[in-house]
Amino acid sequence: MVRLITHNLLSCHVKGCTRNNFPLRFQDVKVELREAEFNAEFLRNFVPRIEWKALVDAGKELGDTSLPEELPEMLGDEFLKKLHHVLLEIHVEEGAMVCPNCGHVYKIMSGIPNMLLTESEI
Amino acid sequence: MSTKAVIPTSASSDSPASYEETYVHTIYESIAHHFSSTRYKPWPVVAAFLASIPAGHIGLDAGCGNGKYLMAPQEREGVYWTIGLDRSVRLLDIAKLAGGRSRECVLADVLDNPWRNGAFDFAISIATIHHLSTRERRKNSIQNLLNCLSPSHGRGLIYVWSVRQDELSKRSIPSPVEKTNSEHRGQDVLVPWVMTNSFASQKLEKMQSRETEDSPAIFNRYYHLFEEGELRDLVIAAAQELDTDEGSPASEEGSSRCIQIRPKKYIEIIRDGWERSNCYVEFRLYQK
Repeated sequence: MVRLITHNLLSCHVKGCTRNNFPLRFQDVKVELREAEFNAEFLRNFVPRIEWKALVDAGKELGDTSLPEELPEMLGDEFLKKLHHVLLEIHVEEGAMVCPNCGHVYKIMSGIPNMLLTESEI
Repeated sequence: MSTKAVIPTSASSDSPASYEETYVHTIYESIAHHFSSTRYKPWPVVAAFLASIPAGHIGLDAGCGNGKYLMAPQEREGVYWTIGLDRSVRLLDIAKLAGGRSRECVLADVLDNPWRNGAFDFAISIATIHHLSTRERRKNSIQNLLNCLSPSHGRGLIYVWSVRQDELSKRSIPSPVEKTNSEHRGQDVLVPWVMTNSFASQKLEKMQSRETEDSPAIFNRYYHLFEEGELRDLVIAAAQELDTDEGSPASEEGSSRCIQIRPKKYIEIIRDGWERSNCYVEFRLYQK
């Protein structure tokens, strides 16, 4: 699946593409919303690991504008519920992710992003 | 028993990528469902490692197969997350719903590094890098693990088949040839996968199988079997090329007072052993 938890970790790995290669931009996506179990303990501890701006922007690309531009200092339940939804309940089933630097297109099929490169791109 | 005997081989070094395509990737695509049906019990060492992962941590399973390690014990589901990476789409189709829950999976090679540097708290690679056909490629796959782990606290566990098979193993390994060259440690073999009839009806890539009317299909998968100490040495060699020395935070307490411009990177080998026909190494990265 490609949820934003995974998108926040992926970067372009085409040979020589080492700058401005994160975050990948979504293109022509088909999105499904599926409920996931809420776990406040996971979210609280996971927050420092997130590239915040990338997550907020990716949420917007997928039509969700609920996250604040700045990470709040107090991680209250209302905030964690929004974070939970953006991180774990929006599934990108089809479409692509495109490198902002080199333009490489990583296709997403049946929820699985194809990060394989051809021999010449490695 | 005769069909379980492994076949000594020497991996072609002309084109390791196409060799692995034929003797590893194509085969897993063909045997995915049958293979998956035999892979459900976690190895004790892996289970113990995953049980120690704190809440909120995120990890990578490089070579996740059917996703059995993307699952957590019921009470720990969702406490930490493991992202699966594999080269077989058919195995990922199983992995993405392992244990009846949506899992996160990406299609990639363990020789690829499609991650932000230092993004993961932990990484495991279980029964995967023994499918890479040169020492250089096995080392590169370990370097990808090291690069995607947090340099300050990333933890890893690598697990591969050993030349030493336990008595219960159905495999018989030919006695190794004496070798002293460090480039050629361990043993390269082809291990037959015998497709049972109930799975034989699925669509097969028959080029690799020697199927006849009444015998089961046999697929010979390439493995590099590791000898004792080989995996540990390879992990340390991989780390050294990334300016990461072997060390232990406890042993160096207070010994170094010199001024450093950048923190120095270290790898500590936590555990290095053998379990049920496999070699494993557990390590931790730190910097100071």
